[in-house]
Amino acid sequence: MKKSLRVILLAALVCSLFFVTAQAKEYTILVMPKLVGIPYFNASETGALQAGKDLGVNVIYAGPTQADAAAQVKMIEDYISRGVDAIAVAPNDPAALTPVLRRAKQRGILVMDWDTPADKSVVELSVHQIDDKVYGEHNWDLLVEAMGTDEGEYAIITGGLAAANLNTWIDHGLAYAKEKYPNLKLVTERIPSDEKQQEAYRKTLDLLRAYPNLKGIIGISTPAPIGAAQAVEERGLQDKVAVVGTALPNDSAPYLKSGALKVSTLWDPAKLGYLTVALAVKRLNGEEVYDGMEISNVGVIDVWDDGITVIMGPPTDFTADNVGQFDF
Amino acid sequence: MENNKKEYMLCGVLAIIVIIMSILSPDRFLSLYNLQTMAFQLPEFGIIALGMMIVILTGGINLSITSGSALAGIMAAFILSGRVMVGASIGMSIALAIGVILVTSVLLGLLNGFVVAYIGVTPILVTLGSKTLYEGISMWLTKGGAISNFPEAYYWFGNESIIGIPVPMIIFIIIALITYVLLEKTPWGTRVYMVGSNPTAAVFSGINIKRVLMQVYVYSALMAGLAGVIMLSRYNSAKVDLGSSYLLQSVAAVVLGGTNIAGGSGKVFGTVIAVAILQVISSGLNILGVNRFIIDMITGAILIAVLTLNIISNRRESRRKSDETVLVAENRG
Repeated sequence: MKKSLRVILLAALVCSLFFVTAQAKEYTILVMPKLVGIPYFNASETGALQAGKDLGVNVIYAGPTQADAAAQVKMIEDYISRGVDAIAVAPNDPAALTPVLRRAKQRGILVMDWDTPADKSVVELSVHQIDDKVYGEHNWDLLVEAMGTDEGEYAIITGGLAAANLNTWIDHGLAYAKEKYPNLKLVTERIPSDEKQQEAYRKTLDLLRAYPNLKGIIGISTPAPIGAAQAVEERGLQDKVAVVGTALPNDSAPYLKSGALKVSTLWDPAKLGYLTVALAVKRLNGEEVYDGMEISNVGVIDVWDDGITVIMGPPTDFTADNVGQFDF
Repeated sequence: MENNKKEYMLCGVLAIIVIIMSILSPDRFLSLYNLQTMAFQLPEFGIIALGMMIVILTGGINLSITSGSALAGIMAAFILSGRVMVGASIGMSIALAIGVILVTSVLLGLLNGFVVAYIGVTPILVTLGSKTLYEGISMWLTKGGAISNFPEAYYWFGNESIIGIPVPMIIFIIIALITYVLLEKTPWGTRVYMVGSNPTAAVFSGINIKRVLMQVYVYSALMAGLAGVIMLSRYNSAKVDLGSSYLLQSVAAVVLGGTNIAGGSGKVFGTVIAVAILQVISSGLNILGVNRFIIDMITGAILIAVLTLNIISNRRESRRKSDETVLVAENRG
């Protein structure tokens, strides 16, 4: 009986051979998102792979199927075994990845983070899509504009509670609101949705029930505003509750048209993926990355004085009027 | 004895898979670095599998095993990250944290054991309930986030090696040996097998089933706690869903290792080899760059295949035995 098991296992392994990726040509760069399978990270994959083609390097874009830091650690360990020249990761939890990234660094692998920062002590470059303070504050400005007033109750739906980028934007926004919009009332602590639209949808339904005077919702992390808008639209509360947040234009379009989502703001994730690979290649070639540098197909980047933090550029706002111009 | 055949087949399967992976990724799969990496990754899964195995041996299941591990880890994390007992020396914090994990695990195991053994609710329902309870407590304590930033000294458990063998692996080998001796070489172990094999007969043989079951669930929870000690160190953080993927995978490993899902038979060696097989498949496919989704699919397919084969083989076995009995009866006739 167990012989058949052997046959089945062998068959499974043979099938998996068909999925083997190509061997490394020049440099091999691992780009790891928080998770795979959501539109935002699918878009960045396109950019990263395109950069690989343009620059002649082998880009592996791989990540766990859930926003799970432990899974990222295991995958990185295995890729270190495989042999890569550079690792660019968007950590679900910066502290959890520090031991394995340190090991990578010890083995001479170029370590970078993108989209959300890891521990500064282990990375050579930290690629940010935007200036965190500016972006956080911008979201709150958008909320007040959408609400039509700077008084009232609002809530925040975030992605993963440990994600550094999301927390930084929220913290900046909250600090800004304390000064500029003191009459805005946050009804409860930031609510996690773990990068799942369905989760954001459920949590928003709960919110709407628990706080009938809610006037606004900020969704941070790309599935969150969509899930929230979905809930608001289902309950027919488009005119009472204003939803804003970070979302892709393609996802936002239907809800922008229906009014459940008032405005969303983001950058081009494909560009971010492209920039990450391009910078990795520059560093692997021993070139310097400096403030005001121009990267082809991306634009002019800012580099902070620490020499590590790179800012891609300013965000773009998507409304019902302009969303048709974008395709990502 | 016939049972050894299963284990030899498993060793054969493991050998074949290792050979295939080595051929597909020369000098990367068999490299010292990869062997060490696998030796780092395997133990936390292996210990949980052992904890699951002992419960399955009694005809039960412990769905709360990973949630209990996470909760115990979170409680220890509060101490390790300095949120509680600020000011204690690092050595004290670590010792205290480990103590907390073990004590918490025992308590959680006692809860399961009590309801299964003394109240008599079926294990799958009890542990499903306790799983939800433990996750709820974990969420309440952490608000869904992670507790991290432990003292560097704690890295040792999950990231260092002694004479080239990773510390987690050493812990796993010790635990596996202890479990092997307990289960297969002591009267207590025999009682565990008997409870799983035929509870009614066990009662009539004078075995205190309630006590045995209670002990089994506590042992299972202890295993979960020990796995938690390793995971806390490897991931430098504690979270409500840390290790949650190991729950069903551990059932897969136990079943793949030849343990009867209805209880009564199974060898520690089988479970250990099965854990190794699953680890090698995961690492090997990762090194090849196979998509994560495909790896999940393959693991799921293997579990279904093994369960099916086990049932068919069991049926053939009992049919053969009853044919023998009929033959003997006819000859006596």
